[in-house]
Amino acid sequence: MFRIYTVIGLVSVAAMGLATQPAFAQTPNETLASFKTAAAGDAKFQGFSATRGEQFFKAKHGKEWSCASCHTDNPAAPGKHANSGKDIQPLAPSANAERFTDMAKVEKWFKRNCNDVLGRVCTAQEKGDVLSYLLTVKK
Amino acid sequence: MSQRILVWDVPTRVFHWLFAISFAASWYISEADEWLSFHTFFGYLMLGLIGFRLIWGVVGGHYARFAEFMCSPLAGWRYLRQALSGAGARYIGHNPAGSQAVLLLLVLGLAVCLTGMFTQGAEEQQGAVSGWFGVKTGVMFREAHGYIAILMLVMVIGHLLGVAMESRLHKENLARAMVTGIKEAPQGSAVSKPFRGVGALLLMMAIAFGIWWFFYAWHEPVEQRLGHDDAKLEGPHVAFVGPKLSDNAQWREECGSCHLAFHPSLLPARSWQKLMAQQDRHFGTDLALDADVSAALLEFLVKNAAENSKREAAFKINRSIKPDVTPLRITETPYWVGKHREIADSVWRSAKVKSKANCAACHLDADAGTFEDAAMQLPR
Ligand code: HEC
Ligand code: HEC
Ligand code: HEC
Repeated sequence: MFRIYTVIGLVSVAAMGLATQPAFAQTPNETLASFKTAAAGDAKFQGFSATRGEQFFKAKHGKEWSCASCHTDNPAAPGKHANSGKDIQPLAPSANAERFTDMAKVEKWFKRNCNDVLGRVCTAQEKGDVLSYLLTVKK
Repeated sequence: MSQRILVWDVPTRVFHWLFAISFAASWYISEADEWLSFHTFFGYLMLGLIGFRLIWGVVGGHYARFAEFMCSPLAGWRYLRQALSGAGARYIGHNPAGSQAVLLLLVLGLAVCLTGMFTQGAEEQQGAVSGWFGVKTGVMFREAHGYIAILMLVMVIGHLLGVAMESRLHKENLARAMVTGIKEAPQGSAVSKPFRGVGALLLMMAIAFGIWWFFYAWHEPVEQRLGHDDAKLEGPHVAFVGPKLSDNAQWREECGSCHLAFHPSLLPARSWQKLMAQQDRHFGTDLALDADVSAALLEFLVKNAAENSKREAAFKINRSIKPDVTPLRITETPYWVGKHREIADSVWRSAKVKSKANCAACHLDADAGTFEDAAMQLPR
């Protein structure tokens, strides 16, 4: 009698475990691919560059902050919000599997962060460069 | 002919010293918020001890019974005057003045424990009587608690002076007698039974309660918080864990990424409405939230705003804001400013704090929104 409940219990726990597995909408490489599609519209587009992305990430663009102000010079390490001091999880996919897996979230933050750092939205070229750079960062 | 007999049975002695320790310890740490959970521990311990002593005063050993040492306050006063003039008679159990002290200490102890419990139940909505009273009543209890504690301290000092005086007068060490239980007594005096089993049980229950409390009140491991691995080195920190507040995953996701998700109970509804209405100018950033997300967030924020919360902080923050003012920052509300006035500039500027809005740097429970007194620790 009790055994059947045990079995049912174990099975449902296992099922729940499977169901709560993080189901990422897409991989960072797929995110990169969609930036590429967006950038390809520009006739001058010649592909993404991790080096350019790194420079972009670490440099200031006429305002108070760079991307590194909050995400630090090492995107595989935890960052700190330049204003509030709150801890920020690492940005590089190698150190944080959730990054660049949800397009809506990615776009939301690019919009906010680019506005804070450049005072405008980032181009698909810039986003692709940054992501290419972040994908090269090892843990 | 006199002989050495057992006067104080084991349970009475265990009670006496645990009672003394509880009083001294809770008094000693009463000013320090971060020790509040220990303070409350000693309070509950004392309450339990008094409960035991009241029963033991009826069923206990000969000299521990109230019937043995109960006398009128007048007799106590008369004895005190005789003793002061060096002529008080010697008693084997409590003398009339001492018995007054014992009874008063028990009554005051009971009162101090109950008012403490009510203060915590009303002001912090915690403890055994959580929610019985409103925050306003708590202020009254807090004051009573303070005055009764002072009265008790006066009684304790009086008791100590009395013991010292008696010991000199009759050339015996009364304090040691409370340790060994043995006193000189004339032939034929009543002898107390030791009741070792009851004494051991009392001691063991007190220790078990202490161990249980330690785990109950131990705050979630500090070192789990990201980037605070060094917190391990900061030594044991015990906090009183409060009731769980209303929560919402979407709110945490949208309002908890740039900074701590400030709990809605920390600002009145009109502040949240204004913050959301001006979200394109959110302290220099454009939040750019979708309309339906904004609406859902606002609903949660307003529903749990300060005026709709039973929390002490919510009540006091809301009370401190003038009705015609709509603050956009918690850190601008008069209550917050008053509570943080004494913190040195150097602390605010330190790398671990950086911003006044970085509540989690000092409040270990900031994420839960409870802001318990006991979970407060300035970063070192
Ligand atoms: C003022 C601080 C700040 C600055 C400056 C900043 N970011 Fe961020 N960024 C954040 C925060 C906070 C998050 C959300 C953190 C989280 O989800 O844990 C974030 C998230 C992101 C994300 C979302 C990744 C994901 O999928 O979860 C991307 C992409 C990003 N930032 C890129 C940038 C770039 C590029 C720059 C420079 C143009 C930049 N950030 C500058 C604070 C900042
Ligand atoms: C894009 C980043 C970002 C997001 C997302 C964000 N905030 Fe803020 N918020 C800030 C910054 C920056 C400050 C100023 C912090 C400082 O002064 O240290 C701030 C400050 C605040 C303050 C004032 C804190 C104080 O008392 O000083 C409140 C309240 C607040 N935010 C509420 C919210 C709410 C509610 C949401 C969700 C709808 C939210 N924030 C989302 C960036 C953000
Ligand atoms: C630099 C450290 C520090 C920071 C940052 C900080 N606090 Fe405090 N806070 C304290 C200290 C210290 C006290 C105790 C003051 C006292 O008891 O006199 C306190 C007391 C409080 C209290 C009163 C608790 C009580 O019941 O007595 C509340 C509520 C509170 N803080 C809320 C906040 C909020 C909300 C924030 C973030 C917006 C914050 N604090 C940021 C140090 C800090």
